[in-house]
Amino acid sequence: MNQKHLSTYLSPLFFIILFFILWEIFADYGIVDSALFSKPSRIFCNIYNNSYLVLIHLSTTLYRLILSFIVAVGFGILSGIIMGANRFVYRFFDPLLTVLMCIPGIAMVPVFIVLLGFGDSTILTIGIIVAFFPIVYNVSTGVRSVDKNLVNAARIMGGDRKTIFLKVYLPSSTPYLVTGLKLGLARCWRTIIAVEFIAATNFGFGYMIWDAYEYLDVTTVYGGIILLGIIFYTIEKTLIREIEKKTIEKWGVVSKHEW
Amino acid sequence: MSGKKLLNDFFQFIFPFIVVGILWEIIVDVGLITFIPSPHELLVRFYQLSIQKNILEKHLYYSFYRLIIGYLLATIFGIGVGVLIGVKKIVSDIFSPVLGLLISIPTIAWVPVLLITFGLGDKTVIIAIFLGGFFEVAYSTIHGIRMVDKNLVNAARIMGADRLKIFSHVLLPGAMTSIIPGLRLAIGYSWRALVGAEMLAAMVRWGIGKMIYEARFWNDIVTMFLGLVVIGIMGMLLDKFIMGYIEKETIERWGMIEKR
Repeated sequence: MNQKHLSTYLSPLFFIILFFILWEIFADYGIVDSALFSKPSRIFCNIYNNSYLVLIHLSTTLYRLILSFIVAVGFGILSGIIMGANRFVYRFFDPLLTVLMCIPGIAMVPVFIVLLGFGDSTILTIGIIVAFFPIVYNVSTGVRSVDKNLVNAARIMGGDRKTIFLKVYLPSSTPYLVTGLKLGLARCWRTIIAVEFIAATNFGFGYMIWDAYEYLDVTTVYGGIILLGIIFYTIEKTLIREIEKKTIEKWGVVSKHEW
Repeated sequence: MSGKKLLNDFFQFIFPFIVVGILWEIIVDVGLITFIPSPHELLVRFYQLSIQKNILEKHLYYSFYRLIIGYLLATIFGIGVGVLIGVKKIVSDIFSPVLGLLISIPTIAWVPVLLITFGLGDKTVIIAIFLGGFFEVAYSTIHGIRMVDKNLVNAARIMGADRLKIFSHVLLPGAMTSIIPGLRLAIGYSWRALVGAEMLAAMVRWGIGKMIYEARFWNDIVTMFLGLVVIGIMGMLLDKFIMGYIEKETIERWGMIEKR
C-alpha cells in the first residue's frame, strides 16, 4: 500500500525532471537555442540567486489574490443567494451575467487604468470582478437546483426560514458553491497575473515576468512561468483536491479525475 | 409555435439590457456618474466606427481570422494528443505529468515567451490562441476516452473488430460526450487568449483587443467601452449560439446528454 502510494507520487515527478534534463542537454548541444529558450540550470540558479526578490513578487501577488478573492466570495455568495431565491431577479440578471462573463479581465485593464490609475486599485478591482461572476453563477444555479420537496418537507416539520436555509439550502447547494469557488479562484489567479503585466507599478509576479521580457531576459521569464505552473499545480493538487474530496466527492456529484 | 417561443425567449433575453441601458442613460445624463460614457455615446461611436469608417469590421475581421486558425489548430492537435495519451498507457505515463504542469500555466503568461520566440506579430497571437484552446481540448479528449465503458470495447473486440475499428467506432464516438463540451470551453479560453495577446503584441495593428489598448493612449473611454461590449457580445455568440448549436446537433441529438 505504502509502496504503491510512493510510486504514484514519484513517477510524475520523475518525468518532469526528465523533461528538464532533456531540455538541458538539447540546450548544451545547440539543438535548442539557449538564447531564446534559456536552459533549466540557468533558470533555477537565477531563481535561487534572486529568491528574496522572487518571494516579494510572489507574496505581493498572493496578497492581491487573497484580498480580491475574499471580497468576490462575499459579494458573490450574497448575490448568488438573492438571485437563486427569487425567480424574477434570476430572469432579469441571468442574460446580463452571460454577456458580462464573456469579457476577459485583461480587456478591462485600459478602462480601469483611465478610471483608477495604475497599481493596486485597478488590479484588485479587476480581480474582484473576474472572480465574482463564476461564483454568482454557480451559487444561483445551486440554490435553484435544491429539490423543492425537501424544502416543503422541512417546512411541514416546522422548520423556520433560518433552519431551512441552514439545513436544506446550504448542504444541497454546497457542491455548486465549491465549483464556483474553484473556478473563481482559478480565473482570479490567471487574471491577476495578466493584469499585472500592464497595470502593476513595482511588484507582482506578472510584473516580474513582463519587466524581464522588456529587457529580453529570457531566463527570468521562463523562471517565472515555471514557478507559476508549479505553484498552481501544487495548489490544485493539495488544497483544492482536499476541499473537493471533503465536499463534492462525498456526495458523489463529480467523479474523481485522473490527473 | 416555435417561432413565437423563440421571439419570447429573445425578448426575455434582451429586456434586462434595455432596462439597464435606460437606467444607465438616465444616471449619466442627470450627472450622478460622470466618468463613464452613456449608452447613446456608445451608439454614436458604434455608428462612426462601423458604418462611417468600417474600422470596427476590420478589427473584428482580423480577430476572427486569427481565432479560426488558432482554434482549428488547437482542435486538431488537442484531439490528436488527447487520443494518443488516452489510448496508449505508456504515452500517458510519460506525458501526462508534463501536460499537467503545463496546463497550470495561465495562457497569458506564455505571451512574453512567445513574443521573444516568435516575434511581435500575428504568429504570437495565433499561438497564444492555440495554447488557450489546446490544453482544454486535450484534457477533455483524454477524459472522454478513459470514460468509455470498457464493456463496449470488449464487446466490439469479441465480435472481431480490429484496433482501428474499435477506435473509430467505439472509443471516439464514446468520447464525444466529453470532447464537445471541451471544444465549447476551449473556444471561450481561445477568445480570452486572443484579446489578451492582441493587447500585448506590439506589432499587431488590427484586432478588437488592439482597438481597446490603443484607445488608452488617447484616453478614449467611449471606444474602450464599445470594445468591451463588442467582446462580451461576440464571446457570448460564440459560446451560446455557435458552440451551443453544435452541442445540440451532435451529442444532445444522439441522446448522450440530457437536454438542458
